[in-house]
Amino acid sequence: MIQKIVTKEELYKLLNYLLQDFEVIGPKELTNRGIFYETIKNPQDLYLGEGFTTEPVKKLFLNPSEWFFKCQYKDSKNSLEEIALTKTKRIIIGVRPCETKGLELLDKVYNSEYKDEFYVNNRNRTVIIGLSCAKPDRNCFCTSMGGSNVESQGTDAILFDRDGKFILEIITDKGKEILGSIGNEPSEEEKKHWQQDKEKRKDLVKTKIKAPEDLDKVFEDPYWEQVSKSCLSCGICTFLCPTCHCFDLVDEQRRRLRCYDGCAFVDFTLQASGENPRPTKKERYRQRVFHKFDYFKKNFGENLCVGCGRCIRYCPVKIDISEIVDKAPV
Amino acid sequence: MKNIYLPHLAEIVDIKQETPDIKTFKLKFKDQAVEDSFDHKPGQFVEFSIFGEGEAPFCISNSPTRKSGIECSVKRMGKITQALHELDTGDTVGIRGPYGNGFPIEDLKNKNLLFVAGGIGLAPLRSLINYCLDNRNNFKSVTIVNGARTSKDLVYKDEYQAWEKARDTKLYLTVDCQEENWTCMVGVVPKILEQLKPTCQDSVAIVCGPPIMIKYTMPVLLKIGFCPEAIITTLEMKMKCGLGKCGRCNIGNLYVCKDGPVFSYAQLKTLRYEL
Amino acid sequence: MIDELKIKARELLKNKQVDLIIGYQRASDGVLAMPCFVDREEDVDKLIWDVYCVYNLANYLKDYAGQKIGIIAKPCDVRSIVVLLQENQLRRENVYIIGVECSGVIDEKRLRLGAKDIQESATFGVKCKSCKSSTPSICDYLFKDKEKKGKISEDKDEYESVRKLEVRSSLERLKFWEEEFSRCIRCYACRQVCPMCYCPKCVADQAMPAWFSKGANLKGNLSWNLIRAIHLGGRCIDCGECERVCPVGIPLRELNKKIEKDIKELFKYEAGANVEQKPLLASFDKDDPGDWIK
Repeated sequence: MIQKIVTKEELYKLLNYLLQDFEVIGPKELTNRGIFYETIKNPQDLYLGEGFTTEPVKKLFLNPSEWFFKCQYKDSKNSLEEIALTKTKRIIIGVRPCETKGLELLDKVYNSEYKDEFYVNNRNRTVIIGLSCAKPDRNCFCTSMGGSNVESQGTDAILFDRDGKFILEIITDKGKEILGSIGNEPSEEEKKHWQQDKEKRKDLVKTKIKAPEDLDKVFEDPYWEQVSKSCLSCGICTFLCPTCHCFDLVDEQRRRLRCYDGCAFVDFTLQASGENPRPTKKERYRQRVFHKFDYFKKNFGENLCVGCGRCIRYCPVKIDISEIVDKAPV
Repeated sequence: MKNIYLPHLAEIVDIKQETPDIKTFKLKFKDQAVEDSFDHKPGQFVEFSIFGEGEAPFCISNSPTRKSGIECSVKRMGKITQALHELDTGDTVGIRGPYGNGFPIEDLKNKNLLFVAGGIGLAPLRSLINYCLDNRNNFKSVTIVNGARTSKDLVYKDEYQAWEKARDTKLYLTVDCQEENWTCMVGVVPKILEQLKPTCQDSVAIVCGPPIMIKYTMPVLLKIGFCPEAIITTLEMKMKCGLGKCGRCNIGNLYVCKDGPVFSYAQLKTLRYEL
Repeated sequence: MIDELKIKARELLKNKQVDLIIGYQRASDGVLAMPCFVDREEDVDKLIWDVYCVYNLANYLKDYAGQKIGIIAKPCDVRSIVVLLQENQLRRENVYIIGVECSGVIDEKRLRLGAKDIQESATFGVKCKSCKSSTPSICDYLFKDKEKKGKISEDKDEYESVRKLEVRSSLERLKFWEEEFSRCIRCYACRQVCPMCYCPKCVADQAMPAWFSKGANLKGNLSWNLIRAIHLGGRCIDCGECERVCPVGIPLRELNKKIEKDIKELFKYEAGANVEQKPLLASFDKDDPGDWIK
C-alpha cells in the first residue's frame, strides 16, 4: 500500500488528464434530487462531501436494463446477434467502502460458478477510487456487518478528506497505474495522526446491531407478519440495495432484456398457473431478510448486507431492517 | 467468456397433440455439434425461448437413452406457453441447458420404483421411466400410478402398452370421475394409492403432479410406510435464469433451478417448503 | 391531544367497534413516524400524532377488506377515503374515521435532502402550503388541535408551478419530462404508496399484452409515468405521497396537479370533495365539454 497526501487541485488536474482515456464517473449533487453517480466532464462537478448517493454503485456493474441479445429474422431465417460489450475504460471515484464490499458480494454470484460476462466485463474495465466516510448517519451500520467505513474493502485506492486535502491510499496495481504519479509522501508524524484519525472515524458509526446466527429457528414466528405489515411491496429497498441482485428476463422487440426485479413485488414469484409461493407481505419480507441474513450466509459464509442504510433511508414507511434483524426473536 | 444467457437455435421437428391443452414438441439443434454434445439426465430441464415472447423452463420428457431430439411437453397456460402452442414444425426456437440436478439415478438402483404422476406431471417421470425400462436390470419392480382429471387429459397414451408389457412393470391409470367406456380405475391419485398400498420395502416413490395432488399424496405415502428420504418429487417454480442468480425460485438457501428441481420430501421439510 | 386519541382508540377496541386501528408510531430513528397497526388495547400507547405523521394511511385499507378498521386520517387522507367510498372500494360501515385537525406535516423529502430545521414552516410539505382545510370533510370522531396553530397556508396559488410549465412550448415540456423520467428506476413506489392504485393487476405488470417496456429505459418510463398520472385523473386527491417517496426525485405531483387543474376547469369536478357525488369517470352530463375530442 502506498500513502500520499494530495491536494484537491492535484486530484482534479489528474482527473482532467485521465478524462482523455477514461470515462470518469462520480457522485454529483443534483438540485431537488440528491446525490447521484454521473459521468463527470469537469472534475469540479464532483461531490466528494459527506452525503451518500441515492443509487448504489451496483447500477454501474449490474445494469438496471441490459440487452442480452437480439434475434434477427431475415429471409425467413432466424439468427441470434449478440450485443457487443462496452470496452470503454472507466474510473469511478467517490465510492464508499460499503458499496465496494457490496460488489465483492455480488462477485460471489456473478463472477463465480456461472460467470455473467456483462457484469465481469464491467468489473474488469473499471478502476474504483473509494472515499472514506467522515460522517456516517444513524442508518449506517457497516461495522456491524463486518465492514468498515474507512478501510478500502475492494477499492483500487481510497481517499480520506482531511483538513481540506486528501490522504490517498493506493491499494492495487490498477490504482497505482493511474494515481501513482501524484501527491507527496506523508511524514511519519502525519502518518501517525492519520492512523489516529482513522480510528476516530470508525467510532462514528453509532448504530450497532447483532445479526443472529440462527435466524432459521424463527422462520415460522409471527414476528415476520408483525414487521411486514406496513411494507408497501415496492421496489425501493431492493433496487437501491448495493447487494440485492434479483432480475427478470423479458423479450421486447425480439431482444432479450434483463431488468431489475425484487422479492418485495407480488408478481416476483407468481406463476402462470396462478400459484404464488410467496402470496403475502409476510413471506416476501421474510424472504428478503432471510436471503440476506441466512441463505446467503449458508451459501457463501457472509451476510448479503453491507449496512449502507439505503433501504432504511429511502423506505417510504421507514421500515428499519437493522432493527428488525437485531430484534428478531431468536 | 461466453454469454451464459444466449440460447442455441433449434428447430421444431415434430409436434404431437397429447391432450386438448398439452402438446409435445420435438426439437433438433440447428448446429449439429450442439446436437451431438447435448446430454441430459432424467429430471433436468431446459430454458425454452420463443423469440419476441420470452423464455420459460420446461422439463425434458424424453429419456437420454432414446435420443432423437429433445422433447418437451407444454401445457397452454400463460404468455409463453400460448405462443409456443401457436408454433408449427419448422419454426425456430431457442434452447439453453440442460439445467438442474435431475433424478438421483444411483440412489434408485436395485430399488422398487413407485412412480406417481398427475396430469402433465408425467412429463419428467416419463424420461425416468423409459430410462429405467431401458436399463431394466438395474432396478427392481416398477409401478406407475398415473392420474388425470379425465381420460382426455392423459398424456403419452401411446406408450402405455409398452410400459404394461415391460418386465415386472405395472401401470395403473385413473381418472377423477367415472366416464363412459372407461375400464381403468376411478378416483384421485392419493385415494388410488391408499387402495393399492404399493410396497414400501426397498422402495422409492417418485411423485410429480399439480401442487394439490402432491400435497395429499405425501401423507398417504408416509402412511403406507415410505420414509421422507424415500419420497422424491420435482418442483415447479417460476424460474427465469436457470443459473441460480435471478432469485425467484429459491426455497431456503437452495435454488430450484440449480440445486433442484428434484428434492426428497425430507429435504423439502428441512427447507420449510410448504407443499 | 395524544392522550385523548389513545383513550378513544382504547374505547373503540374495547367495545369491538373496530378490529384494528391504523395510526402512527415513532420510527426507529426516534424522530420520524411510521405506520402502526393496533389490534390490542395494550398497544394503544404506541400511537402518536405530530407533524411527522406524513403517510396517507388510507392506502392500507385495501389490505383489510371486510374488517372493521379505525383509521387516523388528516384532511387530505380523508379525501382519499372519500374517493374509495365513491368507487365502492370500501363500505362506510367498515371504516371508522378518526379525523385529526392538521396544520401541516413536514416535507420529508426536503428533510432527506438535507433541510436542517423541520419546525420551520418553510419545510412543511408543499401540498400543505396550498391546503385549504385543516378539518376533515367527513369523520366519525374529530380531534381538535387545541393549541390551534392554525393553517400554515400561505394562500399560495396551488397551480403556480403548473402554470409555469404550461406556458412553455410542447417541445420544452417534453424535454423537461424526458429528463425527469429518464431517472425513473421503475421501483413502483409511486404506485404502491397510492391509495387510489388498487387495480388487482396493474397495467405495468401485465404480460398479455405487455403494454410497455419493463426496463428502466426512457420509452418504458415515459409510458409508465404518464399512464399512472392519467389513470389518476379525477381521482387523485393530492396527498403528494407519490412525489414524497420517489427515490430519484421526479416531481410527480406536477403531473397530477396539471390533470387536476384541467378537470376542474373542464368539468368543475374536484376529487374526494363529496362522497355523495358520482366519480367523474362514472358520470356523464350532456353539457360536458367535448370540443377537445378531435
